[in-house]
Amino acid sequence: MRRLAGLLFILANAVFSIAALSLGSAPNSRSLPGPQIASEQNLAVVVNLSNPVQSLSMPELRRIFLGERSHWPNGRRITLVMMEPGQPERAVVLRDICQMNETDFNNHFLHGVFTGEVLVSPKTLATPVGVRKFVFNVPGAIGYLRVSDLDPSVKAVRIDERGPEDKGYRLHVPPRSSK
Amino acid sequence: MKFPGPLPIRVTFALKLASRKMVWRIFPLLLGILVNTTVLRAQQLIDRTAADKQTLQLLLQRIDQLEARVKQLEAAKQQAPPISLPSAPAQTSAPPVSEAELQADNAVPERMDASKTLLRMRGFGDITLHGDSQRHDTTAFSLGQLNLFITSDISEKFKFLSEIVFEGGPDNIFGETRGENNAFGVDVERMVLQYSHSDYFKLAVGRYHTAIGYYNTAYHHSTWFQTTTGRPFLFQFEDRGGILPVHTVGASASGLIPSGHLGLHYVAEVGNGRASRSPITDEPVQNVVDDQNHKAFNLALFARPDAVRGLQVGFSAYRDLLAPVNLPRIGETIFAAHAVLVRSKFEWLNEALLVRHAPNGIPRIFNTPGFYTQVSKQFGSYRPYFRYQYVNASSAEPIFPDVGLRQGPSFGLRYDASETVAVKLQYDYTALRGQPAVNALALQVGFTF
Repeated sequence: MRRLAGLLFILANAVFSIAALSLGSAPNSRSLPGPQIASEQNLAVVVNLSNPVQSLSMPELRRIFLGERSHWPNGRRITLVMMEPGQPERAVVLRDICQMNETDFNNHFLHGVFTGEVLVSPKTLATPVGVRKFVFNVPGAIGYLRVSDLDPSVKAVRIDERGPEDKGYRLHVPPRSSK
Repeated sequence: MKFPGPLPIRVTFALKLASRKMVWRIFPLLLGILVNTTVLRAQQLIDRTAADKQTLQLLLQRIDQLEARVKQLEAAKQQAPPISLPSAPAQTSAPPVSEAELQADNAVPERMDASKTLLRMRGFGDITLHGDSQRHDTTAFSLGQLNLFITSDISEKFKFLSEIVFEGGPDNIFGETRGENNAFGVDVERMVLQYSHSDYFKLAVGRYHTAIGYYNTAYHHSTWFQTTTGRPFLFQFEDRGGILPVHTVGASASGLIPSGHLGLHYVAEVGNGRASRSPITDEPVQNVVDDQNHKAFNLALFARPDAVRGLQVGFSAYRDLLAPVNLPRIGETIFAAHAVLVRSKFEWLNEALLVRHAPNGIPRIFNTPGFYTQVSKQFGSYRPYFRYQYVNASSAEPIFPDVGLRQGPSFGLRYDASETVAVKLQYDYTALRGQPAVNALALQVGFTF
C-alpha cells in the first residue's frame, strides 16, 4: 500500500506539475511580443513640418548628409540628426546615401569642420523617439526613421519622387531584432 | 484507440478498503501536491515578472523622458516674458491652437546660453624622426606642430574657427633662417569669423588659408589629415621656406554658383597679401599692419560634378603688388589649376602653378612654374603613396632667389594604427640645380586627440 501511495504521489505530482507549468507558461508567452516578420522596412527621411521641402534627389540627399549643403531653401541652417553607431538605420544611411563606412564618415566630418566647409557636425541621438522629438523641435533638422516609427509630428520627404510607402523606394532597413 | 479494460473486482475492493483506511495517509500526499503546485505557481510568477521587467523599464524610461520634458517646458515658461493682456473684451472661447503654433512654442530657441562655453576643441600633433644626406644636417627626433583647433557656433549664422599652433625650430623665410633651433613659438595660424547667409554666400574675415589651388585649403596645420609626412614644397608654409602667400589676413566670400549637376563654386578674397620688404626679416604674413595700401586679390572657381564622385577641377588667379625696399614695385600674379580625385580609399592630386613676378620699369618677367602629382590607395590600414614635385625658379628671381630648381619623387607608406593615430614612413629624393641631390628618410607619427 505504501508503495502504491508513493506511486500515486509521484504520478499525481507529475501530472500537476505538468499542468501547472503548461498553464503558467501559456499566459507568459502571450504577453511577450511575438517574433518580428523577417522582412525589410522602408526608412523614411524626415524633416520638420515647417520645412517647405517635399522631395529630394539622391545626390541632394547625399550632399545634405555629408554636410556639403548647409542651408534649406528657406534660409534655415540644416541640422543633421544621426542615430548612434551600430544602429541598423544609421548603417543604411551610411551605405546607401553617404556611400561610406563609419570611419570614413567620421573622418569626412572631422576634415570638413577643420577646413571650415562643414558648419556643424551631425547631432547624434540614441532612439527613434529622440530623433522624432528633435526633428519636431528644430525647424532645420533632418533625420531618418523607420516607417513604423513615423507619426504626424514630422514630415517624410520623397526621395527621387518616391515616398517611403511607394514601390521602388530606395532606402530599406532590416527588421529590429526581437531581443 | 484501445482503452484499458475494467480492473478485477478484488483489486477494486482492495483499493476501496485501502482508501478508507488510509485517508490520513493520503492527506499528506494531497498536501504535498498542493505545496508543489504552489511552488510551481511561484516559479511561473517569477518568470512572468522577469518577462514584464523589460516592459517596466521601458515605462520608467518613458516617465523619465516625460518628466524631463515637463521640466523643460516649465523652465521655458518661466523664462518667457510676461504676456500683457489685451484690453479687448475677453473671448468666450479660446481660438484653436494650430499645429504650427504648437510647434513654434516647442521650437528650441537658438540663443546664446551664457552659462555654457561655446568652444569645441580638438588637438593635432606629430613627432618625426628625420635624416637626410645634406651636409651639416643631423638625424634627429623632431616635435612637429602642436595644433589646437578651436571652433564655436556663435549663432545660427555665425561661426568662429581658429588654429593655435605651438611649433619648435627656427623660421625659414625665403631662405633666411631666424630664431633658435630648439625654442618653441606660438602662431595663430587661422582665426576666422564666418558668416553663413546661405549655400550661395558665405563671408569670412580674419586670417585664413588663401584659396590658391587645392592643397592649401584642403589641408591646414595637421599632418594627421595628410597622406604624406608633409606638404608639397609648392604649398609649404611661409615660415618653412614656402614661396606662396599661404596665409592672408582679410575677407573671403565663397559659395555655390547655381549650375545644377556641375557643382560650381566660387571664392573671392581680398587681403593684406604677403610682406614685401627685402630682405625679409619680419613675419611674412601681415597680421596687423600692411606695408602698403594696395590689397591682394584672389579669385578661385572650381567644380565638383555629380557625375564623378570625389572629382574637383578648378583654377585660381591671385594678384598683389609688392614693394620691396630699394627695389621697384613688383607685380605678383599667381595662376593655379588643379584636378583632384579624392575618395575614401583612393586619391589622385594634380596641381600646377605659375608664379609671375613683373618688376615695374624692367622688361624682364620672372616666371616660376611648379607642379606636383600625388597618388595613393588604401589597402586595409595601409596606404602606400607616391608623389612627384617640381618647381623651377630663376636664380635672378627677385623675391625668392634661393629656391632654384627642385624636383624629385617621394615614396611612402601610411599605416593607420587606430582611427586617430597614423604612422608614416617616407623617402624623398630631391634634385637641386648646381648642388648634390638630397636623399631623405622620415618616420612620423601623427595623431589627433
